[in-house]
Amino acid sequence: MFRKWLILAGLLVALSLVVVGCETVDTSALENEISERDAKIAELEAMVMDLEGTAEMPAEMAGSRLQTVLDRGKLICASRNDVPGYGFLDEAGNNVGFDIDLCRAVAAAVLGDANAFEIRLITAAERGPTIQSGEVDMLVRTVTWTTSRDAQWGNYTQTMFYDGQGFLVQKDLGISSSLELRDATVCVTQGTTTELNLQDFSNQNDLNITALTFEDTDAVVAAYQSQQCDAFTNDRSQLAAISSAFENRDAHVILPETISEEPLGPVVPHGDEQWYDIVKTVMAILIYSEAYGVTSDAVPAESTGDTKVDRLFGLEGSFGQETLGLSQTVAQDVIGSVGNYGEIYDRNLGPGGINLPREGGRNALWADAACSDCPKGGQIYSAPLR
Amino acid sequence: MIMIEALRGFAYYKGVPLWRHALVLQWTLQILSGVLVVALVTTFFTNINNTIQDREIPHGFSFLSREYQTPIGQHFLPYESSDSFLYAFGVAATNTIIVSIVGVILATALGIVVGVARISGNWLVSRTSLIYIEVFRNVPLLVQLFFWFYVVLALPPVRQGYVFADKLYINNGGVSLPWPSASNWSAAWAWLAVVLASLLVAMVLHRVLTRREAHTGQSSYPLVSGSVAAVAMSVAGWLFVNAAFGEAPFAISDPAPQGTFGRIAGGFTISGGLMALLTGLVIYTSSFIAEIVRAGIQSVGHGQTEAARSLGLAPMAALRHVTFPQALRVIIPPLISQFLNLTKNSSLAGAIGYSDLANVAKTMTQTAPAVSIYLLLAAAYLAMSLTYSLIGNLYNRSIRLVGN
Repeated sequence: MFRKWLILAGLLVALSLVVVGCETVDTSALENEISERDAKIAELEAMVMDLEGTAEMPAEMAGSRLQTVLDRGKLICASRNDVPGYGFLDEAGNNVGFDIDLCRAVAAAVLGDANAFEIRLITAAERGPTIQSGEVDMLVRTVTWTTSRDAQWGNYTQTMFYDGQGFLVQKDLGISSSLELRDATVCVTQGTTTELNLQDFSNQNDLNITALTFEDTDAVVAAYQSQQCDAFTNDRSQLAAISSAFENRDAHVILPETISEEPLGPVVPHGDEQWYDIVKTVMAILIYSEAYGVTSDAVPAESTGDTKVDRLFGLEGSFGQETLGLSQTVAQDVIGSVGNYGEIYDRNLGPGGINLPREGGRNALWADAACSDCPKGGQIYSAPLR
Repeated sequence: MIMIEALRGFAYYKGVPLWRHALVLQWTLQILSGVLVVALVTTFFTNINNTIQDREIPHGFSFLSREYQTPIGQHFLPYESSDSFLYAFGVAATNTIIVSIVGVILATALGIVVGVARISGNWLVSRTSLIYIEVFRNVPLLVQLFFWFYVVLALPPVRQGYVFADKLYINNGGVSLPWPSASNWSAAWAWLAVVLASLLVAMVLHRVLTRREAHTGQSSYPLVSGSVAAVAMSVAGWLFVNAAFGEAPFAISDPAPQGTFGRIAGGFTISGGLMALLTGLVIYTSSFIAEIVRAGIQSVGHGQTEAARSLGLAPMAALRHVTFPQALRVIIPPLISQFLNLTKNSSLAGAIGYSDLANVAKTMTQTAPAVSIYLLLAAAYLAMSLTYSLIGNLYNRSIRLVGN
């Protein structure tokens, strides 16, 4: 009996040696092959240089993310449907919100149809693995830009909303500052920067805060509302959005301190620079259309006489559309179907949505393009389109 | 002609053609399946490796010694945010192990009661048990966990919670009760060592006296003597440690509200999330265990019960001494599966706010490579499950029919 197993084990070892052995073939032959390939690569590179010289760059390279999206016929975005204003379901069951509109804008730019998108619902903690694996084209789920996420998750394209972390508490606790949260239990959503910042804040101020961590924001809200925890921490705009749906909104208050920087924006998978540039450009189109005062109901289809506006809407010159593999009139598709940054903000986060003030705040435009010498004081700014 | 003869010689082994020879067929099959397994495993790892490199997915385990710097809600081991990832992982694993052990004990006890009730002659008892089983094993566990989560939330909040004699606090933050706590751990460990030793002595004493009773027929009171010896040694140990270290090994710590928010500190708190999780897991698993127990008992021939009854054993005594020991053989293997299920099902805890291993691991993916974390997570659950299987199988071996 024992001998039989010994023989079997021996055979298996021999077999695995063979498998390993197969990989260490004669190296001289390989080296020859490598030098041949190097020569071929150099040749090809020279050809590409020539092509670039003649301005006929093959933008849609096989296997690129752009080609994948075009072949698929729809854009896949990872997002959410549990926070009003950002990602939510309307009464008809459609995905709506600021994040969703950014996804629609990219769908309109790439496929010419703002509804050619699919929302993959994920929890906060699933964001990293989802974008790392490249199974979605874009992650727009109130994602804070941090250096380690930029290094590990994917490429951050453009900050589309400036937020900061705050605390929501019940008014009858009678506290007026986050620094009074000593020995408190605080509810937080798992896998968020807020979870990490909470620890820093507690340590720095020696507050001995106990964190109660839930996977879903819905469970966090339920625990907060039944006072299983004393405070609820999240990005301030999300606290405002979520508490706006409370029955007794007036019984809650967001404490004045902002304890962190939370720049939010879309993320694309690592490893495809063309796709990265496309998403950045679409965000720039949204921002500059507002700066030029062009809204969805008045998209110019013929020359307006203003060179900058004409260039943006593909009526004159170029801002790099061909190189990116986008159509000449991409801005007409995007703005015509989704609207400019200001419209998206107003519809979801402004008066048409959860009513966060914008004028004079960080999420105002840096300046009107028509009047670059009269800044509006905001931080919404992107690479100029030219 | 000679060539063909030689070939025939090769093609036959001991007069049987190779393609019909049992030994050859067996070995071919073994080698083929071996190749298949090796190929599968190799493909699997090559695929992981390639994907990691293609997508530049971070990996590696160097983060384990780094500071974790993230909160863990509840923890039975002491934990601070400056502790390492590895230690934090251990803290979270302890949280899961505790749920698993307590859950297994409670679910088994409840399952046996419900299972026995299921075959009771009393119509009402048996039907109630039937409804219990069918309801709880047919509703998805996550739904049940959320149900118990909301039941716990429906308790009054901590500042309006129930207080009994300033010792027992019940609110939606959890149940807090007095608990021994050690100020000097070397004293505490010294005493625990004494207790362990006294238990060993008691067990030896119990065995010796039982044997004496069996041999001589003289009443030797093994249980009483053993208990007395254990208690006496423990008390003596307590007094000795108290004198040697200048303080008692353990003192009772009472829970009490603390600070602006009246959160309970001191004593021992079973958090709201843990209560909901344990309740959900225990009830869900016990409904499966009940069916296993029923099946086990019914698998013992009815003649056994009748024989026991005709010997004059009361119904409960017949169950305890005759039917149940025989049923155990059928019950144990599927019961171990249920223990494993309970342990793995506890990974749903993150949904209701208990910091179990899976919950903390998911948080870790924020600041550490997800691939490595999930590998560690899989390894940890595998280790726990294998330990359960091992213990269960050893027990199973000890109760199987002798000579089988």
